Amino acid sequence: MTVGGLRSFVARRLLLGAAQTVAVVLLVFALTEALPGDAAVALAGDQPDPARIAAIREAMHLDRPWYERLGDWAAGLPQGDFGTSLTSGRPVGQYIADGFGPTLLLAALTLALLVPAGFGLGVLAARHEGRLVDRLVSSVTLAVYAVPEFALGVLLVTVLALKLAWLPPTAVGYGTDLLAHPAALVLPVLVLLSRPVCSLSRLVRAGMVDALASPYAAHARRYGVPGARVRYTHALPNALAPAAQQLARTVDWLLCGVIVVEALFVIPGLGTVLLNAVAERDVPVVQGLAVVFGVLTVVLNLGADVVAHRLTPRAAVAA
Amino acid sequence: MTDTKSLRRHTGRLSLGLAIVAVPLLLALLGPLFAGDPGPRAVSFTLGGGHWLGTDFVGRDVWGQVLLGGRTVVLTALAATALAYLVALPVGLVSALTHLRRLEDVLMRPLDVLLAVPSLLLILLVASVFSPGAAGLALLVALVNVPDAARIVRAAAGEVAARPAVEALRMQGETWWRIAVGHVGRSILRTLAADAGIRLTGVLYLVSTAAFLGVGVAPDASDWAVMVDRNRTGLFVQPWAVVVPALLIVALTTGTNLLFDAVLEKKGRRP
Repeated sequence: MTVGGLRSFVARRLLLGAAQTVAVVLLVFALTEALPGDAAVALAGDQPDPARIAAIREAMHLDRPWYERLGDWAAGLPQGDFGTSLTSGRPVGQYIADGFGPTLLLAALTLALLVPAGFGLGVLAARHEGRLVDRLVSSVTLAVYAVPEFALGVLLVTVLALKLAWLPPTAVGYGTDLLAHPAALVLPVLVLLSRPVCSLSRLVRAGMVDALASPYAAHARRYGVPGARVRYTHALPNALAPAAQQLARTVDWLLCGVIVVEALFVIPGLGTVLLNAVAERDVPVVQGLAVVFGVLTVVLNLGADVVAHRLTPRAAVAA
Repeated sequence: MTDTKSLRRHTGRLSLGLAIVAVPLLLALLGPLFAGDPGPRAVSFTLGGGHWLGTDFVGRDVWGQVLLGGRTVVLTALAATALAYLVALPVGLVSALTHLRRLEDVLMRPLDVLLAVPSLLLILLVASVFSPGAAGLALLVALVNVPDAARIVRAAAGEVAARPAVEALRMQGETWWRIAVGHVGRSILRTLAADAGIRLTGVLYLVSTAAFLGVGVAPDASDWAVMVDRNRTGLFVQPWAVVVPALLIVALTTGTNLLFDAVLEKKGRRP
């Protein structure tokens, strides 16, 4: 693999990332344009009194042509100026700053546990391929993989929080300082982990099984290289590339999961802010959060594609 | 592992998947026929009093709601999956078979860009401005599935289209339609079946999660996911109104996944 090949791949991938970022911004902006009729009247919804309609028109500068508004809005984004909320008049940036802590904590905890749990289960299943442990891990991960977080979460709450009273059922009353109440974090993180762990461990298992059956692994064993070393220094690195990419794809899932889990356990994070804004049709807040989430996804996917490309230069990564 | 043993194990997994998916599927499709009259509303969140599973947050019979609540989830998911392929198949086939690089770019590049937007985010974005009904939700879920499905069709068809058989058909002067549908389309059926299974599972997840978050459904709709959401307030007093629909959703999604996994293994990969 030449350096030039990597560089041109990275350049192409960066270009795609930039196009995706622009597309996210345009898509999010196009939303208000897509409103049928007068946007201010449509957004006022249940309370169509003239004062409120005028306030919305004022706040969103609806009297100006769309390209001026797009220009202003897009120019404000890099500086963290996302506009002002329609319902409270507070800046959208403040909403994002308020909700950021709990969501970041949930995501960081989940990722920190996801990697060891996913790799551990995958390696465990691959070591016992075809035997009871493998069949157990494979069936359970296949089954849990498909389950929506809210259904799993509600069942776990019923059993662990209500019947057995081991854990608090929600995070109500703990505010944003969740780290001081680790018991309230157990169920949310467990639910968030459920799907990504399953997909990651299945990929690691498949990669390890393939690698352990390969000629180079057999050759290493014939040379008397100890089993553990064959597994961890020869086979495992080859199972890494698909897993690294899957890790980035789970960003999408984590985002869906975070929104659901915050709603389920009443955690005041970005997901809750987003859902409240959607319910109140507070378009500037929805737009601001959508841009943050969208750009975050673009950047993380870009990073993962570059890492995966570095790990398997011969595999063609779409870009 | 002997052949008979692996065959038996496989049959076991197949029947397990079937058994798990059968209960929610039958309830969803046949339930509305047996639901009967809603009857008068009772006190909310009670147990007993002639209600087999108690009452829900507005005093409706939970069992009656369970019978009614599966149809929307199942039908919306099936419609969304079908719609996604309705768009993805022609787009993927055309861009795999065309010799015009530009046409391929025009068809596929916008989809690459769409792939970047997280699926639930897009659904919530649209829901904040419009109020989509069940049909709107199906359309939205289909839309977020099109880019990925089109890429898979394109990759599978591109591999087949590069084979000498397709070149021979072209030189023989066969019509584009016969090559695309008759040969390439038929050759990628197995890949499509595998993808459809995974996609249906993902669509079921999205449809029920969106309904749980209140997208595309009325606040008091008879829908398993809505039941889980709305009856959560009474979880302490009346857990059945939450646990039964939640278990049905778990069975539906898990069963679909297990079933497709077992079916596809028989047809493909391993002999």
